[in-house]
Amino acid sequence: MFVNIKDLSFKYPNATTHCLESFNLTIQKGDITTILGESGSGKSSLLRLVAGLEMPEKGSISVDDQLMAGPSTFVQPEKRGIGMVFQDYALFPHLKVEDNITFGLHKWTRKEKKQRLNEVIELVNLKGYEKRYPYELSGGQQQRVALARALAPKPKLLLFDEPFSNLDADLQLKIREELRRILKATGVTSIFVTHDQDDAQALADQIVVLRDGKIIDLGTPRDIFGTDCDFSDRIAVKPRVLSKV
Amino acid sequence: MWLLKGVNVLNWFRNIKSNWNTWTILSILFIVIILLPSLSIILQFAAETNENWLHIKEYMLNTYIVNSVILVLFVGLFTAIIGSSLAWIISAYDFPLRGFFQWGLILPLAIPPYIGAYTYHGILNYTGVIQTTLRNQWDITVNQQYFNIMNMPGAIFIFVIFLFPYVFTITKAFLARQSTALIENARILGTSSWRIYYRTVLPIARASIVAGVSLVILEVLNDYGVVKYYGIQTFTTAIFQTWFGLGDLDSAIKLSGTLMLLILGLLVLERVLRGRKRFSFTTTKVRLLQPVKLQGKRKWLAFGYCMFVFGIAFIIPFIQLIYWAMLTYDQSFSVEFLQVIGNTIGVAFVAAAIITIMAVVISNVSRLNRGLFSKVFPKVTILGYSIPGAVIAVGVVSLFIGLDKQIYEWGFTSSYILSTSIVMLIFAYIVRYLAVAYNSVESGFERIGTQFTDASRILGNNVTKSFFKVDIKLIRGAIFGGFILAFIDILKELPLTLILRPFNFETLATNAFNYATNEMIHEAALPSILIICISAISIYAFHHVLERE
Repeated sequence: MFVNIKDLSFKYPNATTHCLESFNLTIQKGDITTILGESGSGKSSLLRLVAGLEMPEKGSISVDDQLMAGPSTFVQPEKRGIGMVFQDYALFPHLKVEDNITFGLHKWTRKEKKQRLNEVIELVNLKGYEKRYPYELSGGQQQRVALARALAPKPKLLLFDEPFSNLDADLQLKIREELRRILKATGVTSIFVTHDQDDAQALADQIVVLRDGKIIDLGTPRDIFGTDCDFSDRIAVKPRVLSKV
Repeated sequence: MWLLKGVNVLNWFRNIKSNWNTWTILSILFIVIILLPSLSIILQFAAETNENWLHIKEYMLNTYIVNSVILVLFVGLFTAIIGSSLAWIISAYDFPLRGFFQWGLILPLAIPPYIGAYTYHGILNYTGVIQTTLRNQWDITVNQQYFNIMNMPGAIFIFVIFLFPYVFTITKAFLARQSTALIENARILGTSSWRIYYRTVLPIARASIVAGVSLVILEVLNDYGVVKYYGIQTFTTAIFQTWFGLGDLDSAIKLSGTLMLLILGLLVLERVLRGRKRFSFTTTKVRLLQPVKLQGKRKWLAFGYCMFVFGIAFIIPFIQLIYWAMLTYDQSFSVEFLQVIGNTIGVAFVAAAIITIMAVVISNVSRLNRGLFSKVFPKVTILGYSIPGAVIAVGVVSLFIGLDKQIYEWGFTSSYILSTSIVMLIFAYIVRYLAVAYNSVESGFERIGTQFTDASRILGNNVTKSFFKVDIKLIRGAIFGGFILAFIDILKELPLTLILRPFNFETLATNAFNYATNEMIHEAALPSILIICISAISIYAFHHVLERE
């Protein structure tokens, strides 16, 4: 398995309950996995643990056969080769779009950087915006820059933390489809965290439903929501899961 | 069970290992350095007592305690009333020159109380401008008793008018941002202004008033200049006396330890007073309080009150100092004076730069680590600011003499090197003013959060690279602000400098104070004006320009 999370437990200091408890998950190479859950279900903590921004209390995480976190191992986030798109994008406000995107390209030559910049800019459809500052872009454009920045260093694994929550509904729909196209085109393995069932269904190869730090359901969108695409039908098809979410 | 424990120990090692970098090591080192002088006092506090100390304890200690408590109580009370009422009027009402008073009423902070003390003495004494005018113009000779300011009420007056801005700024900031809904409700309910002030404003702003007053109290307990000049026996004057008068460092340490206990008690009291009631709302939507335009008599009443306070606390002493400076300009401006300016700026610059670097390192570590670091570090840095300069001076001297002895015994030097050098003074400045820069840097870090650092690290930069490529660029303003605040405080500093300066080393503050204590008040004006102008410019830059941004 490409991503292997075993028996993972985590709690914030001073917290009384665990965010995640004995959590297990495997992900295949090239798959898009969506973690679906309400706020407080532990889904964002899971993402931060995989990224290396938090240290697990127990259990292990390995990516591409490399142990990232275990009882006596902890690989710092900068050494993991994992990309992440943040909820509010975290674009560096003092850098232009092009500098934001090439920020993670260490030890690349100038020519290679330029070439990679053009590739990802093309991929996310942002040609002509290279010289702008983040605050000069719309929400949707900022989101694409964030995606381009995360993709540029060719990460083994790409993480998304509620990437659509700051976009309006129309844009969400459009970007969601575009995102799936981009991810499939690059073939990158990715984990998505969302509270939105439409996001989960539109994007995922595999859906994990999380509640109070534990998995309550796992499967393909078809397993979880049934065959129908229509949201109201889904409730009728599988009330069991949705009432839990 | 054993297996579980084994896992925990492994985790513990792993956590230590991954948190252990240059930043952490440096910040722990800095924290230890900050703690050393206080530790030195605490360790020697319990040492054997000598005759001097028994004498002090028997006959003088009571006076010191009573005088310090009276000063603290009355200054606290009056600054609370004046500071909070001005903050309320400025936040809630619109009247002539309101925009100016918003930052103008902070300006009295630019005048160090010791400068205010001898300026007011100079204005009010027999040869001062008031009595001379009365005598020469109207042939009136007044009872000297009514014009004597060099006593306890006089000292209280001086502290109140030059320190109330602490309460004013903190309360004003709170009222402007936090109170809008409550005050608008009270207005809609038709409550009168006076009732709103004491039924709504005072209770909800209690925490910020207490915070402001505790800063005022720390300043009062730190002061040496005012009480020395006005001849009031307090802890700081007693520390100076036992040390320089009796040459008794041990007793000075005992006095310092007692004062530290007193302050500890005060800080606990502050916690209790503030209680759990924080009165800040958890909403992120900040709506600014809209001032109501005053009409007619009330408009001029509000204006008059602000103008009156501003006049007494800034205009009058400032004009008097300018007049004196013009009288003595040609005598006091000399090559030596240029040397004094150079000394002051040089030492303040070096100390403030070191302080800023330390503040950045410590706050970056406490921000990026959860648990112990983030809890303990901020408290320790603030410790120095709560301890009066004279006490820090005692701690630093006893520490440096101990170090010197050790170095001497090892045979590295033939005399005491450290305790006679400028290093000791700079070290003391760092201990005392680290908190000032730390607060500014910390608020800058709080504003940007950790998301940019997280993003940078995920993109392959370690903590140090992330700091230089991202963090520092985003909090440049806060770092610069911290540097300036520390610089200004060091520029004005008196008790530490008086005790710890190397032989013949003068700063503007000691220069002014020495002239004043030698009854050369006119000559003291020029260095005083320089201190006030440099402070005033930075206050203006801070509260006027930065607030607009």
